[in-house]
Amino acid sequence: MAVPRNDPTDTGGLFIGRRPGTGPIHYRTPPERAGKRRRRADALLAVALLVAEALVVLSAFGPQPLGWLWVGSQVDYRSGSVFLGITVAFAGHVASVIVTLIVATRLDHVWRLLRRAAGHDQREGALGRIFMVAAIVAAIAFTVWLVLIEGPAPSVAPR
Amino acid sequence: MRRFRDYYRRFEEMPPEEVSRELRARRDEERRRALSRVDPLDLSGTAWHEPPHPDAVNAATFALRRALNVYPDASAAPLRAALAERHGIAPERVALGHGAGELLRAACALLLRGGGDALVGWPGWQPLPELVEAAGGRALPVAPAPVEILARASARTRVVLLTSPSDPTGAALSRRALRDVCAGVREDITVVVDEALGEFGAAGEDAAGLVAELPNLLVVRSFSKAHAMAGLRAGAAIGPAELVARLAPSGGIGAPAQAAALWAASERGGEIAARRRAAAAAAHERLAAALAGSPLSALPATVPFAWISSDAEDGPAIAARLASAQVFVAPGRLWGDERHVRAALRGPAAIDRLAAALLG
Repeated sequence: MAVPRNDPTDTGGLFIGRRPGTGPIHYRTPPERAGKRRRRADALLAVALLVAEALVVLSAFGPQPLGWLWVGSQVDYRSGSVFLGITVAFAGHVASVIVTLIVATRLDHVWRLLRRAAGHDQREGALGRIFMVAAIVAAIAFTVWLVLIEGPAPSVAPR
Repeated sequence: MRRFRDYYRRFEEMPPEEVSRELRARRDEERRRALSRVDPLDLSGTAWHEPPHPDAVNAATFALRRALNVYPDASAAPLRAALAERHGIAPERVALGHGAGELLRAACALLLRGGGDALVGWPGWQPLPELVEAAGGRALPVAPAPVEILARASARTRVVLLTSPSDPTGAALSRRALRDVCAGVREDITVVVDEALGEFGAAGEDAAGLVAELPNLLVVRSFSKAHAMAGLRAGAAIGPAELVARLAPSGGIGAPAQAAALWAASERGGEIAARRRAAAAAAHERLAAALAGSPLSALPATVPFAWISSDAEDGPAIAARLASAQVFVAPGRLWGDERHVRAALRGPAAIDRLAAALLG
């Protein structure tokens, strides 16, 4: 249900006109939404895309660093240069994070279009919140792994 | 696939820069249109062109918010006492009504109940002849001068109706002339003076100040003009106690009107009215300066409107020329005069536009 964003009872009477940032979305031509079934399909698609976006962002906090550590170790093993291994792992990780952000941004853009097509007044994307939640999840997971599972000492060292 | 993609692209918002560019273009277009548009300027009325003093509005608002569920004080004793003190008479000689027009209507209905003639000083307040006819009397226009009035008074005459300062000319009757009229007519003839524009007249020359002295004088005043309260409909009749008592509406006037009028009757209210009189006088000077050297002229006055004529053309021609410039005035033919038009003087910008339209 559409809720008015400039109701004085909602704003405490501070904004008699329209609150900043609550103006209508400016379309080039007012879009005509499709039928109910299409909108429901769009809504489902938007959910699927949101999940995909979350997975892509989460991958930047776990699988990608691990993957690049493995690649770095392989470079180190084959070239015999630790420096080269670390450099490849670091550069590769930075590059893959950038690519991840580009992909996630595009997915977020498409997600916003799908949400609007599904009938929602979607103004902002979800990327910022996904990124924040993913960082918190990754930090908790790392802390659990470090403190409870693995322990702060190296595994090869005698306990 | 392309149709599929195009469908979703329709939901893309415009970039903020593009939105700003479009809004700027729209604003420029609106400004361009506003500059080329000439708004009509209505100068056909006589009400004061600015809102009342904020204190008057506050007084009315306070009365409105306080107890709208109860009847107002029908006697309006404080207001009547204030007006009586100002004019040096007893409060019993003051009655309040819903505007000067309503009190004049009541006076005509009462004084001309059995028919008879009413000598109407002409040109005067335009609805006066209608009020006389509606009351069953016969309106006889007469020049507002003692000699003319006394010469026309007959056995059928019941009332003499005068407007001072006159609407539309702004000419005021002197106290001396009024004394001559009241003393010269039969005792049973009532001289009624519509002094709705009284605050715009010369100080010490108001008719209301003669009520205590002249037993056949009834003066009707208004809060609509110099006090800018036309919307409140408040006026006062000042005259013989037994006569004014019969003019007051049953139930009195509304509480907001009483409250605002009580403020207007105060010293501060008088100062504001005097300031408006000075503004009206300055407006006349401004118009006279603008019309100097042209065939057009306005009768010197201190009322908030001008009675304009031209040596080169008649009233309808002046009115038509003004109308073509989107300036609308009251044509003189409303008073049976084909030489003049009456134009309200509504501040410097409006006067300049009026002068430009008159000369253009």
